[in-house]
Amino acid sequence: MQETINTTVLSERDYFEEPDRQGLGIRSLKKGQYFFSLPQYCVERNDANCIRCLVCVRQCTWDSTYYDPDRNVVYNRHENCVNCRRCEAMCPTQCIQIKKWGSGFRENYHWNPKQMISVSKQADTGGVLLTGCGNDLHYETYFDRMVIDASQVTNPSIDPLREPMELRTFIGRKPEKFDPEKASSISTQDCPNYVCEIPLIFAPMSFGSISYNFQEGLARAASEMGTYFNTGEGGLHPNFHQYSKRAIVQVASGRFGVSSSYLKNSAAVEIKCGQGAKPGIGGHLPGEKVTGEISRTRMIPEGSDAISPAPQHDIYSIEDLRLLIYALKEATEYTVPISVKIAAVHNVAAIASGIIRAGADIVVLDGFRGGTGAAPTVIRDHVGIPVEVAIAQVDQRLREEGIRHQGSIIAAGGIRSSADVVKAIALGADACYVGTAALIAVGCTLCQQCHRGKCAWGITTNRADLLPRLPSDVAAERLKNLLCAWSHEIKEMLGLMGLNSIESLRGNRLKLRGVGMNSEELNVLGIKQAGV
Amino acid sequence: MKVVYPVPNRCINCHLCEVACITEHSKSKNPIGAYSIEGLCFNWEWTKKYADPAEAKAAARSVSSARCKVSIDNANFASSMCRHCEIPDCMLACKNGALYKDSSGRTLVDEEKCVGCWMCVMACRFGVITRNVERQNVPDVPSNGINHHCDLCPNRSTPACVAVCPTQALVYEDRLREHDEMETPK
Repeated sequence: MQETINTTVLSERDYFEEPDRQGLGIRSLKKGQYFFSLPQYCVERNDANCIRCLVCVRQCTWDSTYYDPDRNVVYNRHENCVNCRRCEAMCPTQCIQIKKWGSGFRENYHWNPKQMISVSKQADTGGVLLTGCGNDLHYETYFDRMVIDASQVTNPSIDPLREPMELRTFIGRKPEKFDPEKASSISTQDCPNYVCEIPLIFAPMSFGSISYNFQEGLARAASEMGTYFNTGEGGLHPNFHQYSKRAIVQVASGRFGVSSSYLKNSAAVEIKCGQGAKPGIGGHLPGEKVTGEISRTRMIPEGSDAISPAPQHDIYSIEDLRLLIYALKEATEYTVPISVKIAAVHNVAAIASGIIRAGADIVVLDGFRGGTGAAPTVIRDHVGIPVEVAIAQVDQRLREEGIRHQGSIIAAGGIRSSADVVKAIALGADACYVGTAALIAVGCTLCQQCHRGKCAWGITTNRADLLPRLPSDVAAERLKNLLCAWSHEIKEMLGLMGLNSIESLRGNRLKLRGVGMNSEELNVLGIKQAGV
Repeated sequence: MKVVYPVPNRCINCHLCEVACITEHSKSKNPIGAYSIEGLCFNWEWTKKYADPAEAKAAARSVSSARCKVSIDNANFASSMCRHCEIPDCMLACKNGALYKDSSGRTLVDEEKCVGCWMCVMACRFGVITRNVERQNVPDVPSNGINHHCDLCPNRSTPACVAVCPTQALVYEDRLREHDEMETPK
């Protein structure tokens, strides 16, 4: 792995020397790039405690920290700091503190600094601004305005430490009717399901957008916890074939890495029609991140931007989707369920109904808080709807049409805690995809620089010198702990609701109440006002 | 015997092992005290007499008072320190008998006997012996300093570098030397 990745790697000198800025000792302003030199964060170093060990200089990947041997001082280029907090975490004397830069623009209710900086950057570059992670604007989060019921006096709560509690979930199409003739040997031939021991599945994160080590960590944690990881659209690295039965493999519009063995050796095949962070556009892996291994796995040239088309070029209707679903079912000989992932958008209920009727066994709803490795900022921040309303609407619609059993619903995009998982399942989901939480578990600080391929925490990079920052066994251990903690919390919450199985919670909206919502919002979510 | 080995592809070049080593071998047992007050860190001032920056850096590294040092080879990093060989080349090369094996198998230096001839530095197959110019073995007599290498932290159960490493790139274990591929330099 290490030898095969070709990267430009800094020599030891580069860590110490300030790069030549056109021969000037001062920051250069090229073509009026004034805003680029306006810092947003300030790296404050308590010089009395700084021992010049230069750990921060070596750990910073953003060219923000440098050492001047002549003066024996560590300096910062504050304008480059992205507040990833790697230096803070590694400093042995805790002398670094990253603060918001004190001076801002003149107060303006209409124009915030983020928008002003975007305008200036576009004036500098003439390009679409990219970003990583999920939508960070202050839209209302409905999860935070829903509360969970608990058993008191009249119905007993259940203690998960003393009584069995079932979290096992079957994901996929369920048979139309139970046939006692075949009861002795229940056949899943027509309705292949995959079995999750816990209703948490790792969200699609492609090899390339995330590091080799992190994907290996996801695969190992999923295998050991009895759940699944999703390859994203980046294909499956040959070294991960041993985990392929724990892999949900994606077929995206770019068809990266799709081969018959990729499809057959999987837990499920997912057709990616949309992504919550960027509904309506295709995936984007910036060329900086397409190194040797990634180019081989994706079957694309090294260093080229991997931009998948916005639509699936063979899908222009539900009928076309049906053709692709059945093509994949034929290719996998009806042994794995076929999932369709869509971004939560307006009219999502009708779309989901069409997807289930087209033959999909699973529909994944990705809300607008969902993360991404690279997306245009404007699309990430302004397109899509919250996943809470999408789950509620889709579940309601499928029930009304009597086809809820024909497909499972997976909620994705913005699941932050076990409480969010319980609320999503009570609204009607079968299981949840966990993406951003898994990243945070291994060190991500949501600095939103994934697209630059220089992640200082070694998560969203494949630069050989940064890979060891996140070893795969450390990642696997931490992810396992996260899943374990959440599953215990889910069991506790099921117990206090008086339920002993996750199946009894699914779509059980009586267990939820809304706080501070208007009647229209309560109506859309299908829940009652708290107190009623 | 248990010694410290680097794990391939684990080191992230943070040099915290060096900070931990210097701290452990300081009087104050505190990084700020060790570096700022006791001045155990290599001093960049010391390197100014070299015109060539590369030479200055090499000189600075050779007097680092850390007993481990992180080596950089393109994108591969590794922290290396004394392996306490069964039959140490350095001990055989020492003309003064300053190097000796103690009962637990560690190769140690008798600071009184070391005269700073640097035959040990020449002989070491791992290149992990440095000059400690900070510590003059005989006061008032000009000296090159003395032999300086890993002593496996006598006051700790696990060496400080192993305990501090954020990615577990160093392991403290007993290996069969003949099966150890890291043992023979390429």
